[in-house]
Amino acid sequence: MKGAILRKKPRLTLLDAVIMLVVTAILGYIGYRITVGLHYKWNWSAIPRYLFRIDENGNWKANLLMQGLFTTIRLSIWATLLATIIGTIAGFFRISKSLFKRLLGRTFVELIRNTPPLVLIFIFYFFVSGQIMPILGVDDFARNASESTQSMMTFLFAPPRFLSAFISATVTVAIFEAAYITEIIRAGIQSIEKGQFDACHALGLSWKQKMQYVILPQTIQRILPPLAGQFISTIKDSAIVSVISIPELCFQGMELMAATYLTFECWITITVLYLILTLSLSLAVERLEIFMRRSTA
Amino acid sequence: MQDKQFGAKSSFGFITVDRISKTFPNGVVALSEFTTHILRGEVVVVIGPSGSGKSTFLRCLNGLEDIDSGSIVVDGIVLDDNKKNRLEIRKEVGMVFQQFNLFPHMTVRDNINLAQRLVRKKTRAEATEMTMDLLRKVNITEKADAFPAQLSGGQQQRVAIARALAMMPKVMLFDEATSALDPEMIGEVLEVMKTLAGEGMTMVVVTHEMGFAREVSDRVIFMEAGKIVESGTAEHFFNHPREERTRAFLSQILT
Repeated sequence: MKGAILRKKPRLTLLDAVIMLVVTAILGYIGYRITVGLHYKWNWSAIPRYLFRIDENGNWKANLLMQGLFTTIRLSIWATLLATIIGTIAGFFRISKSLFKRLLGRTFVELIRNTPPLVLIFIFYFFVSGQIMPILGVDDFARNASESTQSMMTFLFAPPRFLSAFISATVTVAIFEAAYITEIIRAGIQSIEKGQFDACHALGLSWKQKMQYVILPQTIQRILPPLAGQFISTIKDSAIVSVISIPELCFQGMELMAATYLTFECWITITVLYLILTLSLSLAVERLEIFMRRSTA
Repeated sequence: MQDKQFGAKSSFGFITVDRISKTFPNGVVALSEFTTHILRGEVVVVIGPSGSGKSTFLRCLNGLEDIDSGSIVVDGIVLDDNKKNRLEIRKEVGMVFQQFNLFPHMTVRDNINLAQRLVRKKTRAEATEMTMDLLRKVNITEKADAFPAQLSGGQQQRVAIARALAMMPKVMLFDEATSALDPEMIGEVLEVMKTLAGEGMTMVVVTHEMGFAREVSDRVIFMEAGKIVESGTAEHFFNHPREERTRAFLSQILT
């Protein structure tokens, strides 16, 4: 048994070396064009102070880019949570016995998936932010809240003056991602063998019991990989709300670029920050998958 | 062995199936004006060629499939669109499937405990006590903490029987319970089924095991194209079949 699963030793072949050489050459040429062709003056030393700054009391504070990163993280977490809730409900609608619910679920999914996200952003932003937020009185609430509530809001969501825009952006991203999560959940539930449903029915389990104890636990295990992919997409897609001036990472990058003209340094830094977020999430999910597989094996 | 634990055979119908019909959306007629009465404590074996509607008949008895017309009454409860009635019948009717359908993410113990706790509202201790009793009965106590995937097919099917029995059903349905098993495991499952029959459990069994039908059944129903072709005691059915179609079928499978 042991011999059969021994992994092959990685070996560098001639072809690998050639490919590596070509890639290095292309990257080198791009660097050369930027430096020589565009007469670009690299100035990496300017970047760190936009990540962190030292305030008047000598404490380290997050500056423009890190603030943007935190906003992206907050936005992604809330959007993911909301999208999961909406997606789960719509997913159940998609497989419901009732034709009306199925149609409703289907319409939601097709409408969202077949519209450019940018268009959705504008529609939701001007409708949700322009019409619903004033009705709910979000701005008034945020402005008139006590000091401690305001700092709590700033930590969890956004500073009071951005709150209503932040909520609109979160809802927009959430609805957009929810359409995809709906399909993941529908496919996951439908992938469970029919026999599992039969067994639940034969034992007299109610719909809720069947879902809670038998179907969903098996579904979650199966949909974890695509769901994680969707969560990572949420982080990436959140960049689009920069068009409605949410101060998230991408928007802050544009501001910084406009102010300093450090085009390449700025966008490379932002790329790295996004990568840190998404790659660490992928690795975490990979671990979780291995753990779940072991715990049921 | 406890004799007649599940009540003596009586003359009135325990399950009344009155002219039920079912056509699948693809146009296949599974049942057509199917009528039968099953008595308390009776062991009925249903046989027939594949596609004859045997499994559909069984699945209609606990509402896994809806019928187009006709009526089914189980122990005085009418099986209709009323959800409450349907759940009530399902509590009384246990079912064992060809593919076992154990819950793969739960241990054997939890598989059997689940419905006892959720549907019969037992405490964990009460449920586990019953579960261990049943595992002893199907002779597989040592696997209580194993997951279904770690069990052989025969063991899984015995667990599935225990899981159905845990609900204290008044009738047990077996849908080709041994068809997915390796030959050497069929015996252990049939043994459990024979024990149950000996205890007076009402059973409706769809099977290809003619030995079981001959030995255990009170009545054999031979069906084809959703209809009963012939029905009678095992002795009559295997030794003096009336219908030409029955003889042809028997000669095919008994060679």
